[in-house]
Amino acid sequence: MLPKKQGLYNPEFEHDNCGAGFICSLKGKRTNSIIHKALDILDKLEHRGAVSADGKTGDGAGILIDIPHHFLKDDCPFKIPKPQTYALGMVFLPRKMNQRNFCIEIFENELKRQKLSIIGWRDVPVNEDVVGDIAKTTLPYIKQIFVKPSREVIEEDKLNTRAFVARKRAENIIYKSKMSQSQYFYLPSFSTRTLIYKGLLLPQDIQNFYLDLKDKRVVTRLALVHQRFSTNTFPTWDLAQPFRYMCHNGEINTYKGNVMRMKAREELFFDKNIGDNMQYLSPIILPGKSDSAAMDMVVELLLHTGRSLPEVMMMLVPEAWEKHQSMDIKKKNFYRYNSCIMEPWDGPASVPFTDGKYIGALLDRNGLRPSRYSVTKDGYVVMSSETGVIDIEPENILRHGRLEPGRMFLVDMEEGRIVEDSEVKERIASKYPYGEWIKKNTLHLRDVPYTGNKTEIEVLDYFKRLKLFGYTEEDIKTLIVPMSLKGKESIGSMGTDTPLAVFSEKPQLLFNYFKQLFAQVTNPPLDGIREEIVTDTSIGIGSDENIFKISSKHAKKLIIQNPIISNEDLDKIKFIKHKNFKASSINATYRINSGLNGLEKSLESMLDKVQIAVKNGCNIIIISDRGVNNNLAPIPILLACSHIHHGMMKKKLRSKFGIIIESAEPREPHHFALLFGYGASAINPYMVNEIINFQVKSGSIKNLSSENAISNFNKAIAKGLVKIMNKIGISTLHSYRGAQIFEALGLSKKFVDKYFSKTTTRIEGIGLKEIELEILHRHEFTFNNNIEEFGGIGLEIGGSYRWRRNGEAHMMNPSTISKLQQATKNRNFKTYEEYSRLVNDQSKQLMTIRGMFEFTELDPIPIDEVEPWTEIVKRFKTGAMSLGSISKEAHENLAIAMNRIGGKSNSGEGGEDIERFSIDDNGDWRNSAIKQVASGRFGVSSHYLTNAKEIQIKMAQGAKPGEGGQLPGPKVNPYIASVRNSTPFVGLISPPPHHDIYSIEDLAQLIFDLKNANREARINVKLVSEVGVGTIAAGVAKAKADVILISGYDGGTGASPLTSLKHAGLPWELGIAEAQQTLVMNDLRGRVVIECDGQMKTGRDVAIAALLGAEEFGFSTAPLIASGCIMMRACHLNTCPVGIATQDPELRKNFKGKPENIINFMYFVAEELRVIMASLGFKTVDEMIGQSQKLNMNNAVSHFKSEGIDLSSILYKPKSDKNFAVRNVIKQDHKLENVIDFDIISRAGKALVDLKSIKLEFNIKNTDRSVGAILSNEISKRHGKNGLPVDSLHLVFNGSAGQSFGCFATRGLKMELIGNSNDYFGKGLSGAKLIVRVPKRATFKPEKNIIIGNVALYGATAGEAYINGIAGERFCVRNSGAVAVVEGVGDHGCEYMTGGEVVILGKIGRNFAAGMSGGIAYIYSENSIFENDNFNMEMIGLEDLKSNDLIRLNKLIQNHVLYTKSSIGKKIISNWNKSKKHFIKVMPTDYKAALELLANNKELNKNG
Amino acid sequence: MGKLRGFLEHQRLNEKNIQVKERVKNYKEFTIAPNEKELQDQGARCMDCGVPFCHSGCPLGNLIPDFNDAVYRNEWEKALKILHSTNNFPEFTGRLCPAPCEESCVLGIINPPVSIEMIEKYIVERGFKEGWIKAIPPKKRTNKSIAIIGSGPAGLAAAQQLNRAGHYVTVFERDEKIGGLLRYGIPDFKMEKNIIDRRVKILKDEGIKFKTNVEVGKNLSIKDLDSFDAIVLCIGASVQRKLPIPGAELNGVVQAMDFLPKSNRWVDGKSMIDKECHANGKDVIVIGGGDTGSDCIGTSNRQGAKSVTNFEIMPKPSNYRTDENPWPFWPFKLKTTSSHEEGSFREWNIMTKEFIGDKDGKLKFLKTVNVKWEKDDDNKMKLIEKPNSSKEWPCELALLALGFSGPEPSLSSQLKLELDENSNIKSNKNYQTNIPHIFSAGDVRRGQSLIVWAISEGREAAYNVDRYLMGSSNLPMKEGGDLPIK
Repeated sequence: MLPKKQGLYNPEFEHDNCGAGFICSLKGKRTNSIIHKALDILDKLEHRGAVSADGKTGDGAGILIDIPHHFLKDDCPFKIPKPQTYALGMVFLPRKMNQRNFCIEIFENELKRQKLSIIGWRDVPVNEDVVGDIAKTTLPYIKQIFVKPSREVIEEDKLNTRAFVARKRAENIIYKSKMSQSQYFYLPSFSTRTLIYKGLLLPQDIQNFYLDLKDKRVVTRLALVHQRFSTNTFPTWDLAQPFRYMCHNGEINTYKGNVMRMKAREELFFDKNIGDNMQYLSPIILPGKSDSAAMDMVVELLLHTGRSLPEVMMMLVPEAWEKHQSMDIKKKNFYRYNSCIMEPWDGPASVPFTDGKYIGALLDRNGLRPSRYSVTKDGYVVMSSETGVIDIEPENILRHGRLEPGRMFLVDMEEGRIVEDSEVKERIASKYPYGEWIKKNTLHLRDVPYTGNKTEIEVLDYFKRLKLFGYTEEDIKTLIVPMSLKGKESIGSMGTDTPLAVFSEKPQLLFNYFKQLFAQVTNPPLDGIREEIVTDTSIGIGSDENIFKISSKHAKKLIIQNPIISNEDLDKIKFIKHKNFKASSINATYRINSGLNGLEKSLESMLDKVQIAVKNGCNIIIISDRGVNNNLAPIPILLACSHIHHGMMKKKLRSKFGIIIESAEPREPHHFALLFGYGASAINPYMVNEIINFQVKSGSIKNLSSENAISNFNKAIAKGLVKIMNKIGISTLHSYRGAQIFEALGLSKKFVDKYFSKTTTRIEGIGLKEIELEILHRHEFTFNNNIEEFGGIGLEIGGSYRWRRNGEAHMMNPSTISKLQQATKNRNFKTYEEYSRLVNDQSKQLMTIRGMFEFTELDPIPIDEVEPWTEIVKRFKTGAMSLGSISKEAHENLAIAMNRIGGKSNSGEGGEDIERFSIDDNGDWRNSAIKQVASGRFGVSSHYLTNAKEIQIKMAQGAKPGEGGQLPGPKVNPYIASVRNSTPFVGLISPPPHHDIYSIEDLAQLIFDLKNANREARINVKLVSEVGVGTIAAGVAKAKADVILISGYDGGTGASPLTSLKHAGLPWELGIAEAQQTLVMNDLRGRVVIECDGQMKTGRDVAIAALLGAEEFGFSTAPLIASGCIMMRACHLNTCPVGIATQDPELRKNFKGKPENIINFMYFVAEELRVIMASLGFKTVDEMIGQSQKLNMNNAVSHFKSEGIDLSSILYKPKSDKNFAVRNVIKQDHKLENVIDFDIISRAGKALVDLKSIKLEFNIKNTDRSVGAILSNEISKRHGKNGLPVDSLHLVFNGSAGQSFGCFATRGLKMELIGNSNDYFGKGLSGAKLIVRVPKRATFKPEKNIIIGNVALYGATAGEAYINGIAGERFCVRNSGAVAVVEGVGDHGCEYMTGGEVVILGKIGRNFAAGMSGGIAYIYSENSIFENDNFNMEMIGLEDLKSNDLIRLNKLIQNHVLYTKSSIGKKIISNWNKSKKHFIKVMPTDYKAALELLANNKELNKNG
Repeated sequence: MGKLRGFLEHQRLNEKNIQVKERVKNYKEFTIAPNEKELQDQGARCMDCGVPFCHSGCPLGNLIPDFNDAVYRNEWEKALKILHSTNNFPEFTGRLCPAPCEESCVLGIINPPVSIEMIEKYIVERGFKEGWIKAIPPKKRTNKSIAIIGSGPAGLAAAQQLNRAGHYVTVFERDEKIGGLLRYGIPDFKMEKNIIDRRVKILKDEGIKFKTNVEVGKNLSIKDLDSFDAIVLCIGASVQRKLPIPGAELNGVVQAMDFLPKSNRWVDGKSMIDKECHANGKDVIVIGGGDTGSDCIGTSNRQGAKSVTNFEIMPKPSNYRTDENPWPFWPFKLKTTSSHEEGSFREWNIMTKEFIGDKDGKLKFLKTVNVKWEKDDDNKMKLIEKPNSSKEWPCELALLALGFSGPEPSLSSQLKLELDENSNIKSNKNYQTNIPHIFSAGDVRRGQSLIVWAISEGREAAYNVDRYLMGSSNLPMKEGGDLPIK
């Protein structure tokens, strides 16, 4: 029912995220009111859902309840047997009667085949009037079916299995039938216990549509509800949730891998109950459904293998057990055993589930979704994404809790009680002797003895092999040597300006035709460095077993800790002698003189060889490219690997073996990631080992043994791999393996379909023939060219990272840089034209996709009719470059220039000096019109946001999408530190994800927060081009962004790992086009402005971007070059000689740039654009937006590799009957009118204007979000940074606060919350005092209960917070100045903190203080036990408190007691002499050193 | 790569010279070699730029950051390998090149640039000293034979490259020794001639045949070239510009390129002093402010001139780069060479109107006027004589260093080669003339230029000859990337 793939749109890219919850009666009371309460939950979560362009179609909502047996018995004209002896199916059917009858007939046949008889069909009464127009087009006909066993009485489980088999078989037949409405056939539920009512409805309309729900006779003990926010542009009825056994809030990041692996597993399925039916159950995961739907299908399958629902959930979503030191061994063994069977289905996901017997929820290992529950004294459990969704009297609360990472919350409906996580897991882990099974069957590589068998030494000369495998001098010098020295990947800077592999004149490795995908918006990238405890790179190799069995055989795996293995380790495997393992090597070479045919044949024969090996009992296949010579050329190892992986899957033998790669090719993390992504389980890069040996011998690597250098290299690759996995949000290599999370760029569809099945490739390109030609080139270069004899230096020079004449081409080279500088210095348009001709011509010589376009359908008009350059430059922006990454001089220069011409400069993520907010005496304005909000939140305060014209949320950066930024210590001089609220000379890191954006509804929340913080500013969301970015853009448009920026992958950076610079993300041409097409298709385009950036250099670039759909344009590298940048690429080293990307005071003196240089550049670009506009017949830029018919593919240029390129999908214009806007025409409706702040402001005039103290009181509920932001904005406008007098505006709130309570609350506010609060409490706190305490009537102990949600005080810069109770995960992340007292926190507390003080009077979770580089934390433990395991010791020390610490601490706790009446606080203070000994101080080491340095050296304190 | 912050730690070091008083006593080179550590520090100043403009500014495309780094790391043999990979004769360029690389060095924007040329010189000298530079004869021969006419830097570079490709190469030189202008135009104090000899020995050992005293078209007929599969003309641009004013025929009015070779031959012990063409005891005026003029000054001083004065018709350039010649382009700025330091008067904006002789036809005076330059309506600079500025200068030897106007026409006309508008031999981008198997390289093709360009042309031409003969070539070429002229 989704639209078909068209242009760049592909329905596979859809994502969803949601709000979910359940309510149940522990006492087993069946009531109708539970349904309404549950539906109320959805009402209260409405802000977590989304509405389509018609304003009525939700992305889907639904409810799961017990089968209302008595009601149905009354209502149905036929007789229904006893509960649980029949199954009830909710059936969606085609609208057309003939097709409907066809479906019914097939379904009934299948039921009969499973020996089930039909009791009857019931028409479900519905009111179609409430359905939105869009939803109506896919509205199914809805019936219920009742079935029972035909004759004998059977167990309930068997009945359910039969129903399942019948349904699967019917689905299979119907979906294959090619009937036009076949996709309507769908069973939301078919069970003996539960029933689901769901649809493409707004939450409040569920009961208006399904009239059953309004019937008082419909009663249930439990109700599970869900509503969907999908980036999904075209939601469908069947994808509404809950699904049959679960629903899901978040996103399954590992989804692609899970699907591929499930497919491979199907070949092993066997079960005697299901018998021959098994073959008809495939595919278990129906294609084209959502990740949640897929997971549900797997849960359903596993339930039929004899596992219980909690066990299935544990198996699919394990805790992070791998590095957990103190985990119970039994449980660990359970997880270890099951890891041999199933890879994790990792979120971010909170998964409520039920089978009618159990209802519960669990959270994945990262814990990135909020899940709060309350238990009432009268026996109800309410669990949902937010607290406060149901009104409960304070005195009725038994406890408030939250789901913790990896934990399960379970209610046993039969027993009527909550089963604790430890109890349920203990029970499950004890079911089988998992520990024994593992001990007997699992083998660790480190335990395999080295037998001394050595792989034969290569015959062919070392240098020849280097050449044959395409090594360059640069590979060795820039990539390999640094990794073997430092054990980590090298950092680079600026963007990449070399051709895409398919356009390059240099022979390319196949790896270079693939781009890494990464997470943005719909799911977060992860932080494998700071949150290492959840990552794992170990891999088990061996054959898989039938999932329907649970036996010791499954544990027969060879475990490799770091699957980048040395030559010795490979030898151990190659010659392994063990009853469970047998290895066989398959050669990956072909005869070079046999050409294309030979390559193809070799590939096919490899499959045969693997098949024979597997038949002979081999379960480890080593693919090796050793033994090359002047006759034998290596097959690209990625091709060989993927071919065997997919080929054997087709032969249904893939589960029988693991693949190990023995190859000379892989050398950088990207290469390894690809091999794992296409099926490898371990990799031995033997050539790199040889190179390192050589470098050690020749003295280029000094003071290191070969073994250590190789081990460093292997570690560096493993770290790089974790980073790549984390980018897409995956924590374990186990889940990443085979997930093929890449997009091919420049490979033909035919080739990809054959060898890299299910990989996206959108512009087509080369195939096997051209790949063979590239191999041939390298082979000839190796054997026919003795360049050394000609005085040359052997290998190719490389030149990918640093320009060299004989190296890879660069757009920015001596000619273009010098011309651009001359032109902008002398305002010489002629010289600019020379520059622009150079750039455009290079571009045409196949350096970029846009180079391949030419303008067509010319329709010239006089240039005077085209709008003037002064109008055009208002659309121009300079890119986000932070003060810190570049110098004050360069940063202000950009701002002045852009303000003079009415364009916009961007603050970058480093905050901004408040001096710059006001206009200078000479009329210049150094204020950046765009203020960026990035994950580090440096300097983001109410005042900062108030001074923006546009606020940009950086979701990703082209140069390093999915990664955080870093500012090295030397660049953090006192001035930079003061602007960023940090400590001088302590390096700063921003986390990979925004810790308040793990999904689309979180982004919507942040947009809402920021819009509140400055109502006049446009909210801009920065994305990076990748496949599916159009769908994400649609989601972002629904999340109410005003501007969406799509960046190309090639944009600049101050520092980024080299792999990310080159291999992640895509050119903007694809991103802009996809966004344009997708947004227009679903009529969202008119609501947003599209902006484009990434190596934009000329007016021609701008023209193409506009024709593809962009209306605003960003430039970074070019204006920097105009300011004097010479592409040193040393931004990360602080040594920029021209004073741009440095903070060194001496070097900064060299800055010679003037605002005029930048203005000249903008003027030139606009003028060049005007010439193009005149030739095309456009008077204004607006007219040209999205007019892609004015472009076609330039046939004049060609190269053997580019001949297969097809750009038509980029130029595609979606056809629609209606007149959907193709550019921004209306403003977003941000719906701010109901925010409490307006009420506050209207009553607080005395405080706001007259600066008098007043106290006001309000009621608050979870739908009151971002309270305090608008108020603070108004205060900042009037009173600047300093706000109001301390505590002068005292606001008291009663109830459960919505998300972002007190966000950006500024000085002078005292906000007291009596009740509890949701996530993002005190986000960006800017000086206010926040107090949370429990109502007097409450009887629970606050210090034992969760009072505020996750990610509290994220990015707080100043202020105080006193919290009478426990906070959730990630408390005080990136706090840089606030003081907080709290009575317990979840995992990852004080992560990335750079300043402020935190007092914790209770437990801390795991990984406390990860990446904490500043500030102090004091932690209390009643028994003085501080488990080391809980701290991340990388950057901190634990100290005893000194006397001045104690004075300060005492004062803070006294405050806490004063404000919150905290009982634990009182206890501590009253026993101070005793209790003060139970504190420990967490002190970051660098911070301590810097404080000492500053104390000793007053000079440094002066601004540098 | 490179030393982080090395450019902030170390100052530029120029090669030091023996004192003037001492050095003018003979014709030997007078530089003092820096020590190893000093050179390493100089290498450490290289910033390893993302876009190394030096590498673009060097007409050879020398891999400057790469050899700088190797020197900094004390890996001299590696440095030599890198240097030789783009430059056949670093010992020539290391001494004689005006170093456009240093003018385009990025460090030059803020500080004195990296002393690239000095590093280059000492890499190659180290190589010779250590015996790393050896003849490497080709492993295979192709049975193609190539004639190279002219043994200047272009001819020698082409010869070595083509010989490496396995072709049989014969170099024809009309003078008695190999080297062309290198040998006869460059005074020994700038490059002693054993520097050429040691390189030529290696070339010979690699299998290149040299035929000296053979002038094609004169004592070797062009017919005799028919036996060669390809011919590369590297005959230079040796037609000297004249000064057609009254008195130009007087004794004592001498072309620099008559004066300098004579001196060089004398230093070589191959000829006697020609007194008319010798500066000893004379007031010498050198007309022309370029490098050749400078060489004349140094030579005159060594010959014992009474005084040496240098005339330049153009205005005195500024000491620094001006906005008209911004970085990284070649700047026209005042250049004070070691020869200038050795004693000379320099006059600017001066034009010689007449040579005045005595009755014996010997030069006695020069008559000059002062000039100024103004822009005309077409924005072109126009020379205007200043009224009443006439002056007479006592002078017995006037040396004309006015540059070269092009190649000598005899060979090209015999071979029926087309010329371009500057009377250079016309060739396409593949260095091929209108006769397919005849190629040209160096000054004969591009007009008067630098040694570094000559070597570059020789190398690029060799690639194209090889490709012409074999269908494809594995010889290295520098590819694009030359910095625009401005």
